[in-house]
Amino acid sequence: MVSIHTDVGSVSLASPLIIASGTCNFGRELSEYISFDRIGGICSKGLTLAPRAGNEGCRVAETPSGMLNSVGLQNPGVDYFIANDLAFMASLNTRVIVNVAGHCADDYIEMASRLNQHTDQIDAIELNLSCPNVKEGCMIIGSSPSQIRELVSNVRSVTSVPLWVKLTPNVTSIAQTALAAQEGGADAVVAINTLLGMAIDIRTRRPVLRNNTGGLSGPAIKPVALRMVNECYRVLDIPVIGCGGISNETDVLEFMIAGASAVEIGTSVLIHPTIPLQIAGNLEEYAEKNRIELSDIVGTLELWG
Amino acid sequence: MKDEYSARLISNRKLNEESSILTFFCPDIAVAAKPGQFVNISCSNLLKRPFGICSADPESGLFSIGVREVGEGTREIREFLPDRRVDVLGPLGNTFPIDDADRLIFVGGGTGVYPLFFALSQAVKRSIPAISVCGFRCVGDTCMIDEFRNCSDRFLVSTDNGDMGIHGNVLDALSGISDSELNQSTIITVGPEIMMKNVAEWAFDRGLPCFVSLERRMACGIGMCLVCTCKIKKVGSDDQFENKRCCADGPVFDAREVLW
Ligand SMILES: Cc1cc2nc3c(=O)[nH]c(=O)nc-3n(C[C@H](O)[C@H](O)[C@H](O)COP(=O)(O)OP(=O)(O)OC[C@H]3O[C@@H](n4cnc5c(N)ncnc54)[C@H](O)[C@@H]3O)c2cc1C
Ligand SMILES: Cc1cc2nc3c(=O)[nH]c(=O)nc-3n(C[C@H](O)[C@H](O)[C@H](O)COP(=O)(O)O)c2cc1C
Ligand code: FES
Repeated sequence: MVSIHTDVGSVSLASPLIIASGTCNFGRELSEYISFDRIGGICSKGLTLAPRAGNEGCRVAETPSGMLNSVGLQNPGVDYFIANDLAFMASLNTRVIVNVAGHCADDYIEMASRLNQHTDQIDAIELNLSCPNVKEGCMIIGSSPSQIRELVSNVRSVTSVPLWVKLTPNVTSIAQTALAAQEGGADAVVAINTLLGMAIDIRTRRPVLRNNTGGLSGPAIKPVALRMVNECYRVLDIPVIGCGGISNETDVLEFMIAGASAVEIGTSVLIHPTIPLQIAGNLEEYAEKNRIELSDIVGTLELWG
Repeated sequence: MKDEYSARLISNRKLNEESSILTFFCPDIAVAAKPGQFVNISCSNLLKRPFGICSADPESGLFSIGVREVGEGTREIREFLPDRRVDVLGPLGNTFPIDDADRLIFVGGGTGVYPLFFALSQAVKRSIPAISVCGFRCVGDTCMIDEFRNCSDRFLVSTDNGDMGIHGNVLDALSGISDSELNQSTIITVGPEIMMKNVAEWAFDRGLPCFVSLERRMACGIGMCLVCTCKIKKVGSDDQFENKRCCADGPVFDAREVLW
C-alpha cells in the first residue's frame, strides 16, 4: 500500500492537504461535513492579541475564477481561542496549526508565548505576515526582509513549537522574504496569502468592498502561487507549503512538483466543504496507480534551460 | 454527516418576466428543511448562490426555490433545464420561530415572498391563524398571489403604482389590519432591508414581536469564512454590537437585535 503521508520538517502529516487559515474558522462547521483522519492539518482563523470585529460592510466580491475578501481578521482573540476553541481543534485527529497576526512585532511574541503553554495541543504556529486587510502589522512587516528576520528570531526565542511563516505575494521578490524567514529561524514557509485587489461597481462608481481593497484568492491566483512556491523552493533549505487556488488533485501534484512538501486549500473548501476528502482519495489513487510515495515528487520540476 | 448534494431539477416554471420557481428532487434536503432556511446552489460561477426555501415535501423528496434574475448567476439558473443535476448545500441557517406563535402576520416584499410561503404553509399545517401582506412594484412583478390567498386567513396585497390591491407599500396595507387582529400576533417579515426596518419599527410601536430575514453576500454559506456578517446588538446594549454570521447565526434575527 503506497502512502500519501508527508512531512513538513518535524511535523508529520497524514496527507499533504491542510485546510487554510480563515476558510474553516476553528473547524466546527467543517467537521459536520468531513472527518479529518486523512487531512494533514487544519489552520485556525487568524488570531490577534485582542478580539477584533473585522471590517465594516460588504466583505466579499466574486471575480473571474476567484473572489476578493476583506474580512479584516475578525476573531475572538488568542485567549478566548485558547479557552474555547483549541481543545476542539485538537480533538479533530489532525495536525493543529494556529495562525497568528499582529499589529506589531510584540503582538506576535506575546501570542507565541501564550500559545507556548499549550504545546501538547499545537503542532505549529503560522505567523501571518501577509494579511492584506488590516492597516497595521501583518503585510507591512511581511514586505520587509529585515523586519521578517528580526520578528521570526524574536518569536523563535519564546517558543519551541515549529514556526511556519506565511508569506505575502505582494512583494517584488518572494525569494528574499522567504530567505529572511529562514534566517530568522522559521521551520517552514507558506506561500502564498491573497493578492491585493479591487472590484468596482460601475453603477455606484465605488469599490464593491466597503474596505475598498481585498485579498484575491481561488483558481485565479494559482499560476502566481505556483511560480512563487518554485522560487522559494529553489533558494530555501526549509520546507515550502504551497497555497493558492488549489481545487483538485492535479493542482496538488503541480504544487508538489514545484517544491511544496504540503499544500493548504482555502477557497475551494469554502465552496465544496467535502473537497479535501475527495482530493485525498484521488491522490491515493494516483499514488497507487503510479506506485510512488507522494513525498518523492516534491521539487522534481525540471526547468527549461 | 452533512454533505453536498447533487439535486435533480424536476421543473422550472416562469412566474413573470423576471422570476421563476425551480423544483428539485433531493430527499435529504426536503426532509430536513424548515421555514426560514436557505440552500446554496451552484452555477458556472465560482461561488454558489443562496436562495430561501419556498417549499419542501418530505414525502415526495421535492423542494423548491423562487429565483429573481438580477445578474449573471440568477440568469443562468433561470435557464436550467429539467433533469439537470445541480450541486446544492442545505438546508442552511436558522428558522422562523413559527411553532411558538399564537397568531402570525407575514409581511413580504420582492423575493421575500418565497421563504415566507414556506412559513405560511407550516402555519397552516399547525393550524396557526395567519394574515399575509405582500408588496410588489407593479402587477407585472407579482408572484405567488394565488398561493398566498388560498393559504392565508386574510391576504392583503399592495403595489407601488397601485395597479393591483392597495396603492402604496406594505405599511399602507398593514394599516388596514385592526387592533383585535394584531393582538397576540408575531410578525415575520422578509424583503428589502428598508422595508423590513420599517415593518420592525411598526411592530415595535405596537409591542409586537418581529423577526426578519437578512440578506448578505456570502461565500461558504455554512459559517466558515465570516464574509456575510451583520451587526447584531449585544445583549442589553443599544449601540454595542457583534458581527454575527448571516448564514450560520441567521438569516433570521429578532428585529430588536438588528443594528440597521
Ligand atoms: C439568505 C438569502 C436568501 C435569499 N433568497 C432569495 C430568494 O428566495 N430568491 C431570490 O431570487 N434571491 C434570493 N436571495 C438573493 C440571491 O442570492 C441573489 O440575488 C443572487 O445571489 C444574485 O446572483 P447573481 O449572480 O445573479 O448576481 P450578481 O450581482 O452577478 O452576483 C455577484 C455576487 O454577489 C452576490 N449577490 C448579489 N446580490 C445578492 C443579494 N441580494 N444577496 C446575496 N448575495 C448577492 C452573488 O451571490 C454573487 O456572489 C437570497 C440571498 C440570501 C443571502
Ligand atoms: C475568506 C478568507 C479569509 C481568510 N483569512 C485568513 C486569515 O485569517 N489568515 C491567513 O493567514 N490567511 C487568510 N486567508 C488566506 C487563505 O488562507 C489563503 O492563503 C488564500 O486564500 C489563498 O488560497 P486559496 O486560493 O486556496 O484560497 C483567507 C482567505 C479567505 C478567502
Ligand atoms: S458565508 Fe461564509 S460565514 Fe457566512
